[in-house]
Amino acid sequence: MLSLQRVTYHYAGSRAPSLHDVSLELGAGEVLGVVGASEAGKTTLCLVASGLAPRTVGGTLRGQLLLDGTDTVALPMHRLAERIGIVFANPANGLSGVAGTVYEEIAFGPMNLGLPREEVIARTEESLSTLGISGLAERDPSRLSGGQQQLVAIGGLLAMRPAHLVLDEPTAQLDPVGTRLVADALARLAAGGASILLTEHKTDLLAAICTRVIALEGGRVVLAGAAAEVLADPRLADLGVAAPASVRLLSAVREAALPASVLDRVQAALR
Amino acid sequence: MLAVALGGLAGPAVLVGIAVLLPALAGRILGRLLRTSLLLTMPIAISVLVVNLFFYPAGQQILFSVGPIRGTAEGLAFALETLARIGAISGAITLFYLTTTPSELVLDLERRGVSPRIAFVALASVQTVPAMVDRAATITAAQRARGLDTEGSLWRRLRGVLPLAGPVLLGSIAQVEERTMALESRAFTRPGRRTLLWHPPDSTLQRVARWVLVALLPGLFVARASGWL
Amino acid sequence: MDTARGTRAGIGFAVGAVLGVVLFASGQAWPLAAAVGAIAADLVYALLDRMQTGSWGSLRVAIGLVAFAVATYVGIIAFGNFGDPNAVDPNTFANTKAANSWALILTVAMVIGAVVTFGLELLQTGRLDSLARQFTTRTYLLMAVGIGVNVILGQTVASALKIPIYLDSIGTILVGVLCGPIAGALTGGLGNVLWSYVIPPPFQYQPAAAFAITAVAIGVIAGFAGRAGFLRPRPNRSTGELLVGGGVTVGLVGGLGWAASVAYTRIFETDINLFPDPAKVDTLFLVLGYLALGLVALAVVGLFALLLVRRDLTAAYVVVAGVFTGIVAALISAPIAAGVFGGVTASGTDFLVAAFRQAGLDVQAATTGQGLISDPIDKVTTFFTVYLILGALANRFKARFPQGEQVLEEASA
Repeated sequence: MLSLQRVTYHYAGSRAPSLHDVSLELGAGEVLGVVGASEAGKTTLCLVASGLAPRTVGGTLRGQLLLDGTDTVALPMHRLAERIGIVFANPANGLSGVAGTVYEEIAFGPMNLGLPREEVIARTEESLSTLGISGLAERDPSRLSGGQQQLVAIGGLLAMRPAHLVLDEPTAQLDPVGTRLVADALARLAAGGASILLTEHKTDLLAAICTRVIALEGGRVVLAGAAAEVLADPRLADLGVAAPASVRLLSAVREAALPASVLDRVQAALR
Repeated sequence: MLAVALGGLAGPAVLVGIAVLLPALAGRILGRLLRTSLLLTMPIAISVLVVNLFFYPAGQQILFSVGPIRGTAEGLAFALETLARIGAISGAITLFYLTTTPSELVLDLERRGVSPRIAFVALASVQTVPAMVDRAATITAAQRARGLDTEGSLWRRLRGVLPLAGPVLLGSIAQVEERTMALESRAFTRPGRRTLLWHPPDSTLQRVARWVLVALLPGLFVARASGWL
Repeated sequence: MDTARGTRAGIGFAVGAVLGVVLFASGQAWPLAAAVGAIAADLVYALLDRMQTGSWGSLRVAIGLVAFAVATYVGIIAFGNFGDPNAVDPNTFANTKAANSWALILTVAMVIGAVVTFGLELLQTGRLDSLARQFTTRTYLLMAVGIGVNVILGQTVASALKIPIYLDSIGTILVGVLCGPIAGALTGGLGNVLWSYVIPPPFQYQPAAAFAITAVAIGVIAGFAGRAGFLRPRPNRSTGELLVGGGVTVGLVGGLGWAASVAYTRIFETDINLFPDPAKVDTLFLVLGYLALGLVALAVVGLFALLLVRRDLTAAYVVVAGVFTGIVAALISAPIAAGVFGGVTASGTDFLVAAFRQAGLDVQAATTGQGLISDPIDKVTTFFTVYLILGALANRFKARFPQGEQVLEEASA
């Protein structure tokens, strides 16, 4: 269970907080979506949740980041890395830069952890098959498409067996094919019971896999609840967030005042 | 290094023969070796030749002259000697490069005790070079699409390179921030050694050969210094 | 620089200068007097720093510097006469023994200096914080980028453009300034070794490893320059300050150049002749030589333009740092180039060497002459480039580096 309790965070040298009094909980098997306009604090939230803020990026954190009830303030980054993994929007920056093949790239994390050789191999193979990218194992990671690179990045994190995954707009820089790849992979992971914190502009994706969604504005949580509810909330538009296609379609159908049978069939189809 | 220790022309030539050409023959890469080595040493060879042929201070015996510039026999001899030395060094380095990939070398060193972080820098540096070249190619292609002239005289191409340098350089540097975060989230900062997957094949013969060569080296230096060779 | 620090530096400089003059007046050789003066200046600054701020850091470094100087001196004496005519190969006038020993002496002396500095820290605090602080994940990544830049630019200049500069230290100096002296040193040293042996052609440059020691020195100097805030932007200064800056720059540059050439003459007991007799030298090379000198003038003029247009005083600091680094680099590299390669390294500098040799100089003096022209230009250009790069980076980005604070503009008082 990952939880933020009353977290307020300032970047170094900044007087205004980027996150203000934010609290959230992410349990096992839950997929939590985060929406909000740009600069609303989504990336900062991901950095805090993964422990990178303040450890790697500096700044001051007030409040607590708890893992299974224990405060993580004393844990160094490499210990947190075993429990929480994070993927960023730019696929190229997620690569280690020292791996000649996808296999080595995914093994990078376990190798750093100093696990026994057999364990490293076992975990790498498991990651490859979970994400269905065993066919890419001997390819050069820098020559893959963006979507494939994101899958490799996720695979590299999975090999570390984290309890929670944090993804900051993983499909933002991908073409539709790549987005499809990543979305499918995330859906499979979610179905398999992974605990995921997912930031996205593409609310369709969130609608498909999230159990709960929160909305951020100016560093504060302004909406929180079950995914279907929050994503259908009319206030999303004010926050600069485009509602998912299904929601927009439903509201359009409702406004058109079509008979209830049509409404029911549309709703059933969108499920 | 052995070639530098051995003076004269004969020394390096023999050495090149034994240490470089024979293994290359065994590994069936003699052709590639010669071609790459020659290609590499061409610029330096020409420089050495020109500088020493024409501007050798102790040159007395004039072979030929081009205007006010005179080529001397002593200069030629010295040039050839230096070339032989350079050839030996270059041949050895090329053989090395053709038989070992950079990552194999660095990973092997890490296995023997080099810090994983230094090994990381070495590996990442080697990969940075083609990465930056690729990025430059991408930017050039984008510029070409926007109508910038990339063909043409050397001067024009040079002028085209300058606006390229900025984005490539700054882009690579700016990447450091996100790459740092990605690395740290993969336990890069964990102190101590990490597990290595790759084991290089190492036979007893290779080990013995290595020790013999290392033992020979100081002996050769002493011999050279005391005037033997 | 805050005024307290400036005062300490000023007092140190004054004491060093006085000591140097006194030594010279009492009959010591110029280079010895200058070196002792410089070391004394650093020691005084460090002592004042310790007394006023209670920090041991500067003092440890100063003691390490003393150890380095002593080790170098001992090495030179122990080796014997660098200028021994019997050790010079009569055919090439190249003193190979001196060249190889020179690199060895410097390497050993640097290691001794480092061991003393860090050994003291280990003894006093039980940890090596000043070393650990320099090496964060960010440092390692920047080092990789730095080495890549060194190799690409250096190789392009060496093989494609036949101009008498190198441009292979931009990465080293960038890392040194942002991360620290040892990080910069490692970038330079490791980078040169990789450049020679590990990087595959066409970017491989085999002579590079021999000059690794030079790259290490450059990294160290850049690290301390960065730490002292040399590359901190200082825009919109008053005309008075700018005039002082310009004057100090010209004076220091001229003085350093002269002192260095005298130092070389004394140690190696050869003469440097920058104005060869036109009757004995081919016109082509004379022109090339003056072209190189013209580049010097151009670089300095360009930086003065920065001074005048943006009223940025840091231009003066850039010139000082570049010239100092360049002279040190030249003095370290020249004997190596002469001894190992006969003065030829397949770059544009070969023409300069040829020019000097035709004037009748031996290889040693030729490479030094070439170095003293090429290196300062190269290093001033490099420091200037690094300054421009830093200017283009966001403050938030720079601040996260170990010495990042020292390259940010000072907040207005």
